[in-house]
Amino acid sequence: MPAPIDHAAAARTDYDVLVVGSGVSGAIIARSLAERGLQVLIVEAGPGEELSVAEYETHLTRFYGAAAKDNNSAYEVNPNAPMPRSPDVRRLQAGHPDSTSYLIQNGPYEMDSTYTRVLGGTTMHWEGKALRMLPEDFQMRTRFGQGRDWPIAYDDLELYYQQAERELGVSADVADQTFYGITFPPDYVFPMHSLPQSYLDTIIARDLDGTVVQLEETERTILVRPTAQSRNSIPNPAYDGGKGYVPVGAVSTHQVDQGDRCQGNINCVPLCPVQAKYSARKTLSFGVRTGRVDILTQTVASQVHVGADGQVSHVDYQAYGSTTSPEHVTGSLRATTYVLAANPVENARLLLASGLPSSSGLVGRNLMDHAYLLTWGLLPEVAGTMRGSQCTSGIEDLRSGDFRTRHAAMRVSIHNDGWSWPTGSPYTDLIELVDDANAYGTALRRRVADRISRQLMLSFMIDLPPEPSNRITVDGRYVDALGNLRPVLSYSLPDYTMDAVAVSRRVSRQLFQRLGVEDRTHYDPLDPGFVSHQGDGYVIRGGNHWSGTHIMGTASHDSVVDSHQRSWDHQNLYLVGSGSMPSIGTSNTTLTLAALSFRTADHIVSELTTRPSVTIEG
Amino acid sequence: MSLRRIATVEDLQQYLHVAMQLEHATIPPYLTALYSMHPTANADAYRVIRVVAVEEMLHLTLSANILNAVGGTPDLSANSFVPVYPARLPDGEDDFEVGTRAFSRDTIETFLKIERPAVAGEDDSRFVSRDRSAGALLPAVDAHEDSLHFFSIGEFYAEIGEGLERLHHEMGEGLFCGDPARQVGPAYYYSGGAAIVEVTDASSAAAALRVISEQGEGLGGGIFDEEGELAHYYRFQQLLLGRHYQPGDEAGSPTGPALDVDWDAVYPVVPDSALDHYTEPGELQDAVTAFSRAYGDFLTRLTEAFNGRPDLLLPAVVDMFHIRDLASQIIRNPMPGRPGVNAAPVFRGLAPVEVA
Amino acid sequence: MNDELHEAFLDLSSTLTGYSRFRLLGTGQADPYLSTTREAVGEEVLAELLNTYTDVHRDAGDDEKALDTGLRARILSDRLLGPVARNVIKMWFVGTWYELPQEWRDVQATRGHDSTHVVSPASYTEALLWPTIGANPPGAKAQGFGSWAAPPTIDAP
Repeated sequence: MPAPIDHAAAARTDYDVLVVGSGVSGAIIARSLAERGLQVLIVEAGPGEELSVAEYETHLTRFYGAAAKDNNSAYEVNPNAPMPRSPDVRRLQAGHPDSTSYLIQNGPYEMDSTYTRVLGGTTMHWEGKALRMLPEDFQMRTRFGQGRDWPIAYDDLELYYQQAERELGVSADVADQTFYGITFPPDYVFPMHSLPQSYLDTIIARDLDGTVVQLEETERTILVRPTAQSRNSIPNPAYDGGKGYVPVGAVSTHQVDQGDRCQGNINCVPLCPVQAKYSARKTLSFGVRTGRVDILTQTVASQVHVGADGQVSHVDYQAYGSTTSPEHVTGSLRATTYVLAANPVENARLLLASGLPSSSGLVGRNLMDHAYLLTWGLLPEVAGTMRGSQCTSGIEDLRSGDFRTRHAAMRVSIHNDGWSWPTGSPYTDLIELVDDANAYGTALRRRVADRISRQLMLSFMIDLPPEPSNRITVDGRYVDALGNLRPVLSYSLPDYTMDAVAVSRRVSRQLFQRLGVEDRTHYDPLDPGFVSHQGDGYVIRGGNHWSGTHIMGTASHDSVVDSHQRSWDHQNLYLVGSGSMPSIGTSNTTLTLAALSFRTADHIVSELTTRPSVTIEG
Repeated sequence: MSLRRIATVEDLQQYLHVAMQLEHATIPPYLTALYSMHPTANADAYRVIRVVAVEEMLHLTLSANILNAVGGTPDLSANSFVPVYPARLPDGEDDFEVGTRAFSRDTIETFLKIERPAVAGEDDSRFVSRDRSAGALLPAVDAHEDSLHFFSIGEFYAEIGEGLERLHHEMGEGLFCGDPARQVGPAYYYSGGAAIVEVTDASSAAAALRVISEQGEGLGGGIFDEEGELAHYYRFQQLLLGRHYQPGDEAGSPTGPALDVDWDAVYPVVPDSALDHYTEPGELQDAVTAFSRAYGDFLTRLTEAFNGRPDLLLPAVVDMFHIRDLASQIIRNPMPGRPGVNAAPVFRGLAPVEVA
Repeated sequence: MNDELHEAFLDLSSTLTGYSRFRLLGTGQADPYLSTTREAVGEEVLAELLNTYTDVHRDAGDDEKALDTGLRARILSDRLLGPVARNVIKMWFVGTWYELPQEWRDVQATRGHDSTHVVSPASYTEALLWPTIGANPPGAKAQGFGSWAAPPTIDAP
């Protein structure tokens, strides 16, 4: 690691590119540009002293000691760059926004999605599913009369998907991942072989494979498939034309010999303890090694300034020394090109706080996230639940088909971590068995094993189209410790999605009937996320797949960025990440936003290198 | 224990058997020190020792690969493969003993001796002529030259390297007559450090040896190896000096971040634990016995893996994780009747049952 | 630490959790759990719990049924001791001290450290629930690559 740069030196430096945010988008763009000779500065609002294992493990120790082990429990509470936390979400009363935590919830739907403001961003806590979108997902308007089309197609992204799969270290086998229009070049293999499926998966597959499910006029035959994951497995020697692939282990200043392969810590969210799961810190460390990437942490980008020529002129920052004190210094940073990679909520928040809603007025609008319906029950046999990575298999067969003209598509994950998401298992099971079932001693041991090792939980990840009314705004009444405007969320679930929720519940019942599962699903009207639809109630959870707030399109009047994620209004400004996505289909967004980042990096390089003033080394 | 200069393939195979024995002999001491630390305490020290232990497993596997490449048959399951601690190292270093001890300054001093850099020059000077050690582990292979010892592991491997070269010069590629299917490759062996090397010819054999000796003692006297990894000797030294090395540092003067060691957050395990320490029937005895059975099974599994079933290394790693959990439980239990002393696992398979 | 108290706490814990003294000691958490209990409920309640258990155990002798009956009658259904005993069970299984019920707190006017908290990072990783289900605590003590493909090893008593 080179000597860390300080703010004064950074302010004196003319960078080619300033990147706001050290998550996966920013890291990929920074690394990619630096490797092609450009000088990059990354500012990260959250903490992160160094790319060392010791620093990483402070998050782990915090997680061990946390009484509530939610998906941000590994990360310190930081009023200077706060983040949403799911335990903060409360049931809303109609017409009464909840401003008690960082994300102001305007309703009517309460969103429990989060993101993580630390070095490495939300890839620190992401689960690691690395799914390509289906070709039909890029043409939702044309094919199904719903949502929006992308200005580019699957084929335009295919090569970038390959780059993303290399960068994110994806483990999968092509034969398992070739479905519903997804194509690969003839000799393509993933960097690593598929993770082994869990024993639980094999029980489910044994009984479910071949089950026929009806979705409108579409008939689908269920096949349980291994899930593509950004998690180290056995490297495929055929990768890269026979050159093979060397897995990237733990990022460290001192060698630690770990992270080369998943150990089954079943803790992908909130933190892989051995760094077998990809996080943007891996990409950042490669970027830093070029000598052309500087990183400033605890540095909040507070305002984007635009000059008379319509170009971004500089970005103001606030740098704080401690997460426990609002004391900070301010300054400005300059570069030729600016990349906002803060995540869809923070990108929109920063632009709106800077008075830059875009000429289309769409900044912050079209907010999307997958709606998750969780169903759970007890298998008739011990399945060894609570082992492995969090998910190793899923069902892809409900993602595609003409039914998408009528209701949203869905993807099913089989959860190796049992009911932990919907019920707080195994803690809640233990408390119930001890406090209510009055079990103790050896009988308690038997009942604990019986209750937990038979758990099955399916998550239905349901598509949600862009709606301009689902949005992030800012409001002068709400500021954080440094005086920055906090995000205000207004959100409702469209009928197109809710109809698929009802279908998912029906499909779940059918699958449980086939499996002989004792259905224990229960949706409490008092829980945040409870939604009624056609007489039935469901608790819908957020997927942390925030998207759409600077939506991509073909013209400046109805979109914020072009297909290269460049702002229509400001030619030297790129807004990157899932905020650019016009649809999210039924794929977790990270692999696609990583592919888009590679495409954008190519574009930035081509733009900057055609300018005579920039010298490209090497 | 004695070895003569390598003159034949059989000599070379004998050396490589000893190499495997040597690499393995360091693992129980390292793991005992590692597991004697209080859980989640001493993260810096835990990482340092853990990395070295993991790399000894790599060296063991590399030695097996070389042995397989020259037509040998690895065997870790014989009772004599595992030393009885305290023991001298199987390469004949006999000025110190190695034991399975709690993490302490003295223990780290011993680890430094295990990993000490080579001092000898070329040829015969690397052999130290001494009387046969009382702690010798193996019978003499060659009666007429039975008093040669190595000062360090590095010198022992230097002799293997030269022996390989000599034999390759004499025999050509015929030296590497082993079945390539017996080689352990990256599919089945993994760690975050240096990669496994499949040995099929002289250059891959040299590469495998280079990994072993550089990781142990550094490159040509430097503290870092070719890959930029800190040699084991200096890793351990960091614990005594309280500071990490960083690139550019001179041996003995690390200038990296401070390294916190809590020498007291340690269970006081009985030194050189042996099965006959646990004569009182009960759970502790059962646990120690179960551990030894599991360890013996692990060595049997490794033997199978190194004899044409490299895929068995995957379950062998799972075995190691299980062994860790069993060891930790034993180490946190007191020794009955010995206040202030805790139990410790015995890293050897159970002796075959004697038929009366 | 008082040896007698320590022994009594281990014996009680063994009965309540179904795990042997060896397994309990094998977690390294006996001392911190005893201290946590004492800090939360005070010396007197702790002594009463342990003394009552010693009496119940002595009265029952080798009769398991009598031990069970005595434990339920004199500890688990006792307004004072029952909640504490249940907390001890939960602490061994997940490493967390749970705040005692409001009714208990009102009666005892507890002033100790009784809020819900994880005793220490190590008490989380060493908790007994995970081996009970043949698993590892999330984020620690993993079982190794591919171990999840095999059926679980559940050590059922």
